[in-house]
Amino acid sequence: MDFKFPVINPLLHNELRLKIMVALDNLESADFVYLCQITDSTKGNLSVQITTLKDAGYIEVIKTGLGRLSHTVCRITRQGHEALTTYEEGLRSLFNQQIPTQKEAENNKQIG
Amino acid sequence: MNSTEQELEIIAQTRNEVLGRKDHTGVNLFLVWGYPTAFFLLVEFAALLLWNENWCSWLWVGIPLVGAPLMIHIKRKDFERTGRRTINESLAVELWLFIGFACFLSGLGTGFAGLFEQCYCTIQGVLVGFGCFLTGSISRFRPVKVCGLIGSVLSFSCLFFQGDLWPWQLFMTAIFTVVALIIPGHLFRYYAKHSQP
Repeated sequence: MDFKFPVINPLLHNELRLKIMVALDNLESADFVYLCQITDSTKGNLSVQITTLKDAGYIEVIKTGLGRLSHTVCRITRQGHEALTTYEEGLRSLFNQQIPTQKEAENNKQIG
Repeated sequence: MNSTEQELEIIAQTRNEVLGRKDHTGVNLFLVWGYPTAFFLLVEFAALLLWNENWCSWLWVGIPLVGAPLMIHIKRKDFERTGRRTINESLAVELWLFIGFACFLSGLGTGFAGLFEQCYCTIQGVLVGFGCFLTGSISRFRPVKVCGLIGSVLSFSCLFFQGDLWPWQLFMTAIFTVVALIIPGHLFRYYAKHSQP
């Protein structure tokens, strides 16, 4: 049996970042308050994760307004969409494929 | 962090939560376009009956001049209120901007070509009905689709009002606007209000 482990993107291997990416992937755009509600996270934590995703080029952040009235809008980029699709496919292949036990792997080696 | 199964569950849950929230695409679009259209068409009809001057037949220009900025403003307010914009919403806004632009161009074209009295109302009725039908399809709200279809078909009756009777085309189109935009707009609004999660 030949099993190849898919490469898991470490950036998306975080619950909050994954939630942000999935939410944005299904919307045209969303603001900071909405993302706070949908991910059930604190503002500080969300802000840090948004910056991480922005730095990776997975989302774009548009800030409008000034001072206390500023409005932060996030949108997923093409690169982000592709990364999320690859990540989800990787997870699915991991979940669907039967991972061989050590004994089976040794048997396969002997046969080979 | 989690097992593969848990991660897939997070993806599915977040997706369901985002998509599961009621999507009332185009709730305000119908009313934003419906009321200015009916109003300006009735004003033009009345002006033509009263004065019958050439400038009266250009009063329809007020429809896109009022409708387009109002639509952009309302969509911006909607976004500020809900904090999100779905792909369907963007699609509906672009569709109505396109229909508004097409109605404006066809009005200018038929006006300068001297065909305004013959066919403008029919063209506008078909375009608006088509937009209504498509928005109903996008938002999966059948009454809107039916009203759009009825309005679109009825607008062909304008072709029977020719010659001296042509101002009545404007009156008929105003009625079709009520059928294709204002009634479904209010129906949709009622449905959206009473089906909040």
